[in-house]
Amino acid sequence: MLKISGLTALLFAAAAVTMPSNGAFAKDIVLGASVQLTGPVANTGRYYRDAYQFAIDKINASGGIKVGNESHKLALKLYDNQSDVNLSVRQYTQLVSQDKVDFLLGPFASNFALADSAVSEKYRIPMVQGGGASDQIFARKFKFIFGTLAPASNYFGSTIDMLKGLSPAPKSVALLYADDAFDVSVADGTRPKLKQADLALAMDERYSTNATDFNSLLSQIRSKNIDVVLVAGHETEILNFVRQAKSLAVAPKMYSFTVGVPSEDFRKALGKDADYAFGMTAWLPSAKLKDRWFGDAGQFAVAYKAKFGYDPDYHAASGVADVEALAQAVENAGSIDPAKVRDALAKVKFDSLYGSIAFSDNGQINLPQTVIQVQGDKLTAIYGANGLIAEPKYPMPAWNAR
Amino acid sequence: MDLLAQILINGILLGGLYAVMALGLALVWGVLNIVNLAHGAFIMLGAYVSWYLYTYAGVDPFLGLPITAMVMFVIGYAVQRGLLNLIVRAPMFNTLLITFGLEVVLTYLAQLAFSADFRTINPSYAGNSIQWGPIVLPVARLLAFGVAIALTVAMWLLLLHTRLGRAIRATAQNLVAARLYGVEPRHLYAVTFGIGIALAGTAGGLYGTVSQINPYIGAALTAKSFAISIIGGLDNPLGVIVGGLFLGILESLTSLYVGSTFADVASFGVLVLVLMVRPNGLLGKAA
Repeated sequence: MLKISGLTALLFAAAAVTMPSNGAFAKDIVLGASVQLTGPVANTGRYYRDAYQFAIDKINASGGIKVGNESHKLALKLYDNQSDVNLSVRQYTQLVSQDKVDFLLGPFASNFALADSAVSEKYRIPMVQGGGASDQIFARKFKFIFGTLAPASNYFGSTIDMLKGLSPAPKSVALLYADDAFDVSVADGTRPKLKQADLALAMDERYSTNATDFNSLLSQIRSKNIDVVLVAGHETEILNFVRQAKSLAVAPKMYSFTVGVPSEDFRKALGKDADYAFGMTAWLPSAKLKDRWFGDAGQFAVAYKAKFGYDPDYHAASGVADVEALAQAVENAGSIDPAKVRDALAKVKFDSLYGSIAFSDNGQINLPQTVIQVQGDKLTAIYGANGLIAEPKYPMPAWNAR
Repeated sequence: MDLLAQILINGILLGGLYAVMALGLALVWGVLNIVNLAHGAFIMLGAYVSWYLYTYAGVDPFLGLPITAMVMFVIGYAVQRGLLNLIVRAPMFNTLLITFGLEVVLTYLAQLAFSADFRTINPSYAGNSIQWGPIVLPVARLLAFGVAIALTVAMWLLLLHTRLGRAIRATAQNLVAARLYGVEPRHLYAVTFGIGIALAGTAGGLYGTVSQINPYIGAALTAKSFAISIIGGLDNPLGVIVGGLFLGILESLTSLYVGSTFADVASFGVLVLVLMVRPNGLLGKAA
């Protein structure tokens, strides 16, 4: 008898929990995403999990989203795709067809976004993704994909602008890139820019994703006496590249990497050897970037670090921008109808902690990249849209002269 | 010419590292007839043991290798006695399944325990190099190469000239006869597996000083060790070092002359060729 009454009490309690706690809110707007929580890219995937949840909590805390006269809260339905593209596509299909989520947020990385955007297009549910920068994602005239990472083809744009003003002037460039969607787009965009800047492309080498040995490439860089090395790859490869450059005493005048440099983890793993490395970011946590929900980017960065224990980088800010773009578009549309929200996204324009959010006709944002450099134990902004911000440490000294 | 010499040196040093990685796999495969698909995961665990020793106890990664090896030996012994011994007489397919499962479990446990953050074992001398005319010799790789040669020779001596080694080889050749001579196979299998895992752990410690560590490095290292074992042959440890060097040099030359994307194509292409032409390995007895 006691058992039964205990069970009944439990059932009542469960019913009480599942009942809407606040009568003023209409049905939740559910955002679905499949993100790398385990597997080789889990390290970056966590930015998206944390950013999505953080943004949703913040928006809900300030009253949710107004659609007409009703307020809706946001909810997140998140799957772990185990860093597997095929699983990710299946999970997005499930999110749309079985979980019936209202809108989609993206995965991390271009090869994932490239495959997953086919799902949003097929089911005509808008996906706003902040993890894929490859131009290929937006070259297919898809109507339901929007991206908040700046185009891959322009990642090295500001770096090349900076190179023109350096002294002694760099003469030869090596471009190394991994064979995946993002890095190939970076390389394709970089070649014409180098040509315009009259920089000789002395090495143009593609390598396998997840390569661990760069000794051959580094020995060639040394033997050809190359001034500038531009690497488009993944964080693991770039860690190996820097370590092996040191162990082979290869020190070009400068090197720059598409990923890694902005993240705290990268600098921790390399320690002093991270010094002098150039990179780029479309986002720095400046108080000048005002935000409707978070105040500004500076406050956001502090709150994020306090909650998750690590510094946000542009991946995190881009993830927050995705949620905000959807929230803003739903309010502008005054509806949660996918087609209407899609049209509102195409026209959206607002200031956020990530910068000014607006999508060009192909669905991608256009933000300039700021050149950054590790200087000592600090990350310094070097060159932005308006030219030089701080003096770069150039040329890089030999490894035994540090 | 200088470039070619440098590339050859790079290849030889890389090959030494490859050889240590494969040594344990080849031993376990040769004696226990288990293709240990979790081999790379054990290399990864060894790398983390070395990383913890270095980061939290300040133990030099090279001097700490014996500790890493001992820790890994104990883990290996326990895994064989508790788990793999259950299927030691089962068909090959079952051993593949169970070691594959073990690989998945170890990898995900590692992410829970160590997070997906990238680690490096980075003592001050790890990035140093010796200038030798136009050639640069990286100190860490040179040390790793030295350890590789030393371990291979030690393994060879152990197998040929000690009682334990003879017992291991006898068990591999004829279990019934070995038992008649007083070999206790259960203990011996566990010791052999323990040695194999200790070698994997040592390889992991070396790997952490030249590369980066994360819970997911294992699968690719298993594949590489597998190729080296096939190319070198399972008969004796010297074959493994030949296989490692061969693969290291081949990959380096391929990156130089054909392109980096083809390094894996070349190494696994050679694997197929060896299987066709000399299925017992380059140093193995002709088929």
